[in-house]
Amino acid sequence: MASHRWLFRFPPFALACALLPLGAAAAQGHDHDEPRAASASGRRSTSTPPRRGPSSVGATRAADDPRTVELTLTAAPARLALRPGGPPTEVYAYNGRVPGPTLELREGDRVVVHFRNALPRPTTVHWHGLHIPSDADGSPFHPVAPGASHDYVFTIRRGTAGTYWYHPHPHHDTGAQVARGLYGAIVVRAADDPLPASLAERVLVLSDNRFDADGAVDLPEAGSPRARMDAENGREGDVLFVNGEVMPTLTIRSGEVQRWRVINASAARVYRLALAGHTLLQVGSDGGLFERPVKVEEIMLGVGERAELLVRGTGAPGSRSELRALPYDRYIPQTRPADWDVTRPLLALRYSSKPPVAAVALPERLRPVPPLDTTRVTATRVMTLTQHLINGRSMDMARVDVSASLGATEIWEVENLVGMDHPFHLHGFQFQLLDRNGVPEPYRSWKDVVNVPKHETARFIVRYDDYPGKWMFHCHILDHEDHGMMGVLEVRP
Amino acid sequence: MRTSSASYRNVGRLAAVLAVGACMSSAATTGGSNRSETPAAMAGRTDAAGQQRAPVASDRRAQVLRGRALTIEHACNGCHGGADPAAAGYLAGARGPQDDFLIGPCATTPGATPCFKTRPRNLTPDNITGLGRFSERQIFNALRFGLRPGETPDVEITSTVPGQGNFPAHPKYLAPPMPWPSWRHMPDQQLWDIAAYLKYGVKPVRNKVADSEGPPDFWASAYTPDKIGAYPAPPFPTANEKEPE
Repeated sequence: MASHRWLFRFPPFALACALLPLGAAAAQGHDHDEPRAASASGRRSTSTPPRRGPSSVGATRAADDPRTVELTLTAAPARLALRPGGPPTEVYAYNGRVPGPTLELREGDRVVVHFRNALPRPTTVHWHGLHIPSDADGSPFHPVAPGASHDYVFTIRRGTAGTYWYHPHPHHDTGAQVARGLYGAIVVRAADDPLPASLAERVLVLSDNRFDADGAVDLPEAGSPRARMDAENGREGDVLFVNGEVMPTLTIRSGEVQRWRVINASAARVYRLALAGHTLLQVGSDGGLFERPVKVEEIMLGVGERAELLVRGTGAPGSRSELRALPYDRYIPQTRPADWDVTRPLLALRYSSKPPVAAVALPERLRPVPPLDTTRVTATRVMTLTQHLINGRSMDMARVDVSASLGATEIWEVENLVGMDHPFHLHGFQFQLLDRNGVPEPYRSWKDVVNVPKHETARFIVRYDDYPGKWMFHCHILDHEDHGMMGVLEVRP
Repeated sequence: MRTSSASYRNVGRLAAVLAVGACMSSAATTGGSNRSETPAAMAGRTDAAGQQRAPVASDRRAQVLRGRALTIEHACNGCHGGADPAAAGYLAGARGPQDDFLIGPCATTPGATPCFKTRPRNLTPDNITGLGRFSERQIFNALRFGLRPGETPDVEITSTVPGQGNFPAHPKYLAPPMPWPSWRHMPDQQLWDIAAYLKYGVKPVRNKVADSEGPPDFWASAYTPDKIGAYPAPPFPTANEKEPE
């Protein structure tokens, strides 16, 4: 397969890139019944040679039960060379990698994750964006003790194909654990994906970090001025990673179209993405594909958000381009970093010298995104966001902030009352944005995070389908979440 | 920079003394309000026309009118907008750069640093751009303790010591020249009255005011007791005072 061959031609990035041969084969629908489920990506432990494929996470798909995917995931301390040329860093890693292995799943899969916590502290694995039972959600209600194991069991529902991610979600400790390296991508594929299977695919996990001189992850002492600054702004780092690599090079051929799945796994950084010299086609967001592609010059990717993009190789053979994070002022003036207005390069896109390939026909319609019925709305929930607080209150595990019935349709009106952006995330249920600051959303999509800019309001509609239980909603700036900017939605059966 | 003739808008003077509370004589007063009158005491009274009014509405209206008088006499509108309650933009906050305050040496020496632009907020009860979504208690906490309502939980605060009695461990204060260090000495009921007036006696105006600039400590180092004095004030008479003869 052509898309594999050129991947191998550039091994440094191919190893870090989340698309690996088995996953790509699955995407093309050639081996739906073969063992597959998780491919590997990310920076590996310096002591472990790179491996790829299902064995890297111990995933199996039994011949007599091809819809069940079993895999082993271990969170453990590791020592990795995160920065090129820098000293090794003590990290926390899923299966020895930062980011963790990319989980490749299909609609209809029953997933069994044998998780082991080899960290010296409690953790959870939250499957960000997946519509799964609340006891499998990895919320702070279900911590896994140090040394303990837990099986996460859930089924991937039809219609939920998209790009998701996983990360820890223990109460008060999410930011520190993610900063140490615990995050990874999830790709859910549909059998009836409307985009051509021939498109080469990239999963791009965006993250940032900062380090001490000795290479350690820089986590300031609690209560120190720098810790307070992190608590205020959310922790940002000066080193920007794509799949654990600094400024990696991707290759493309003139005329080629690639499908990029971009995940903002940063604790606080907002990415205003632009690919120099290219107009992008956005085909999806958090919960999968749009109804039709949308042409964009740049994409705002708030914390926790995802975007599916089609990158059209309009450059000349041998030319180069760059994916950049443009400046975006999400800060209050008191703590705005001095270098907030710097444009930061993320990755290089190199055109091969080969002559252009013929254009690929792209569909004008992707899939229906049926609107949730506004006439069935039974309640409007007003959520006011201020620094570290929702509705003036701090997170209380013993309190239920919103109580609703299974199957109910409701509107959430999320009002940001302060001068800093807050990305608002609801667990368990994908929602549809109705409007931002009164301006109707131009197209429908499934979302699980919405960035609410300073002094603005976002309204979304959501239906609590399938899964009763307690669900978190919170600011996805991890430092804000850890400081109590979170609440509990209880969906009653 | 704001160039009004009102004396407390003399920002150069403010800048010279970053301990802002000291810049302005306290306008706290008990005139015109009845400090002992509690809502319970007023319940079920009759108005001037002899009509029995619904107790709750009556209490609320009386409280709002007391708050209105206090708001006018403390010249809240002097910074926050409108020459009087009938004026356009009354209490609706800064309308543009002409309403910015310059805090710091730059107020007297152009280009000097530090230099912070601060802006009078929209005090009308608009839900997003004003005080609409903040509770009366959060407004009370702003006037009594100088705590920014957007950073302070909606809780009763029983201490002025950071970290104690719900007082934030790392308090974030309203930007200068808001004279809360003086006005915090007003009686509780007067502050509640002002909060009630702003919440229930003023029509909401949508006017988004850009956030004030300030140091990363949100003025905590400018609002220490040695700069703004003790709360409550030390007992009378201090060494500077004497019993009347």
